[in-house]
Amino acid sequence: MMIGVFLLLWLATTLGCTQTGEGTDRAPTTVVFKHGKLSGDGRVLSDLLRDFERRHPGILVREELLPADSDRQHQYYAMNLDGGKAPFDLLAIDTIWAQEFAKARWIAPLDEVLTPAERDEFFPGPIEAATFQERLYAVPWYVDAGVLYYRRDLLDRHGLEPPRTWLELARIAKLVLKAEQNSALTGFVWQGKQYEGLMCVALEVLRSNGTDLWAGDRDRAEYGLRFLRETIATHGITPLSTSMADEESTRWIFGEGHALFMRNWPYAWSLLQQEGSPVRGKIGVVPLPAFSGFRSAPVLGGWMLAIPNSSTHQEVVGELISFLTSPDTQRRIAVELGYNPVRRALYTDQSLLELRPLLKDLYPILLGAKPRPVTPYYLLLSQAVQPEVSAVVVGRRSPAEALDAIRRRVDQIMGEQTSTARLGRS
Amino acid sequence: MTDRSFTEIKKRSGTIHLSERAWGYLFACPAFILVSLIALAPINAALWLSLRQQLPIFGIDEFVGARNYLQLLGDERFWAACRTTLYFTALSVSAELLLGFGFALLLNRLSDGAGRGLRWAHVMIILPWAIPTVVSAQIWAWLYQPDFGLLNYLLYAAGMTGGRIDWLADPDWAIHAAVVMDVWKTTPFAALLLLAGLKTVPQELYAAARVDGAGTWEQFRRITLPLLMPVVLIVLVFRTMDAIRVFDAVFVLTGGGPGNSTETLSIYAYKTLFQTLQFGYGSALATAMFVLAAVLSLLYLLLLRRHVQESG
Repeated sequence: MMIGVFLLLWLATTLGCTQTGEGTDRAPTTVVFKHGKLSGDGRVLSDLLRDFERRHPGILVREELLPADSDRQHQYYAMNLDGGKAPFDLLAIDTIWAQEFAKARWIAPLDEVLTPAERDEFFPGPIEAATFQERLYAVPWYVDAGVLYYRRDLLDRHGLEPPRTWLELARIAKLVLKAEQNSALTGFVWQGKQYEGLMCVALEVLRSNGTDLWAGDRDRAEYGLRFLRETIATHGITPLSTSMADEESTRWIFGEGHALFMRNWPYAWSLLQQEGSPVRGKIGVVPLPAFSGFRSAPVLGGWMLAIPNSSTHQEVVGELISFLTSPDTQRRIAVELGYNPVRRALYTDQSLLELRPLLKDLYPILLGAKPRPVTPYYLLLSQAVQPEVSAVVVGRRSPAEALDAIRRRVDQIMGEQTSTARLGRS
Repeated sequence: MTDRSFTEIKKRSGTIHLSERAWGYLFACPAFILVSLIALAPINAALWLSLRQQLPIFGIDEFVGARNYLQLLGDERFWAACRTTLYFTALSVSAELLLGFGFALLLNRLSDGAGRGLRWAHVMIILPWAIPTVVSAQIWAWLYQPDFGLLNYLLYAAGMTGGRIDWLADPDWAIHAAVVMDVWKTTPFAALLLLAGLKTVPQELYAAARVDGAGTWEQFRRITLPLLMPVVLIVLVFRTMDAIRVFDAVFVLTGGGPGNSTETLSIYAYKTLFQTLQFGYGSALATAMFVLAAVLSLLYLLLLRRHVQESG
């Protein structure tokens, strides 16, 4: 018995020694890729990562999933990156976090992973969102922008075209609602819950009136906010329940055939068009409307890849990022997961367009999509502004009062931050 | 012989001479240390944090003294959250106490008769309390759904055809919707505690009262209520503390919206701490919540003590 154990031990040690002694295959380097749960089949990404491992012998990529809720992800990243010893080497971040993480020196500049010359092949919006003090801190992975979904069958029945302006949208919605006499049908649904989605809608409406939430022309901003409230209060084309609606609940209402128009992200398209969907084949997508005299102003969404400053595998992970954003990988993600690629050239690729015809319509929209205010303080500001906009939506505050409060609060926060920053430097 | 006194042991141990009192403290030490590590240390850390400005994102971490608290005084959103929290607490705790009392009396009556129905009644009553809050809040979110939720359907079926109420989207309804859910969930807790109290009331008192010609109401007012007062106060303390810290019930239902109309103190603290990562200010908010809960429970304790003195 004892002899057996000794023999085994001896065998194990000698074998171990010969392996390290010869030095043929060293212990593999493991890099940890942390990201939120992706919609769609998780195997697509793991297949891609196995592909990468085959091309880079000695490298193992381990995926670690976070919950799909982006607030939770932000919380997790902030806690772990702040310690300076993040237990991961690659992370997927929301476009609105890039500035914050870069300013905190949590993520490393990636100018060598994606050189300035190559950046032209990407959409300009995400590149702007990822650039902090003239250096690139994250590489766009997939992009999103707000779009208007409409019921093609209902518009056709009444001989109408999709709207180009917000007032036209209100007029068409009222017309169709009146003609249809269907109490289950509503006109226009959007994300009105007190959360980040409402910020996107508010920015889209205000920017398509040539202004912005905490900067730009005040009267036009007031007018834009009033329009949001009026869709519920005076036009009667939006149900009050929209003030609790997020992306999924609006997709549900529209998907059941209970809405004529919907503001949402492109992800909803493939879900609405899948077999068994009541609106399959009856819908279309157009750019969001604008107010007359101004252009449609979709807000940019999407995710990016970044490397924690503390990672000891910067070079390998840089290669992994290049791999994940390469034209081939981007095409696979577009086909198999339905995500929108970050490389512009793919949108003229006939073989891809045949599989995903929507990309052709999305191209001009994604090209024009503008990021939410590009500042490291965005999350702080957004959190302070959301209650005010939400209060306008439910009629608790007038647009004028809300704008006063928003701009006062933003000035206060920005003032505080710059003054403490000055203190810190001196 | 088996009963060796403390002094005897002390004499024999010989070398260490300590008074009985000192020995007592020595033996209690491990418990004290454990409690302070588990309870006091985190509280102290939070208090210390509330005196600092700590924004990890911007690398700011400095001592600012009472500045966070001064800022709190001028923070409209804080006062609004305070009002919402107190409103929620007052409504939900009083409803829970009244309903709980009713259920406790009912169950007590049932158990006098005895029978199979009793166990089922107990299970039915305890069920809402056993479901995790997040789950029951999600269930209620579906009940409240304006288009296909059960509640509006019932209103419609009952003939209130105008009754399409946006329970959660209407800022006037939203906080009440949260109160109803909380009452549904925690009334069982109040009922059980009160039922336990009812069981301790000696039956002879009622018999004697009946002999003296007291009616049901008189019996309740003169016997049940006074004897149950300590239990009532304990229910109040527990429920008030919980209601002031309410988070999951409201957060799952409304997330604090619309227009902050359901933002309680703990939701504001959560958003400040974890969504915008203002650790210093968020800790000041949490401390304020702690103080509010402490003041209210102190009031209850004073009431309890006065009651005990009066009756004793």
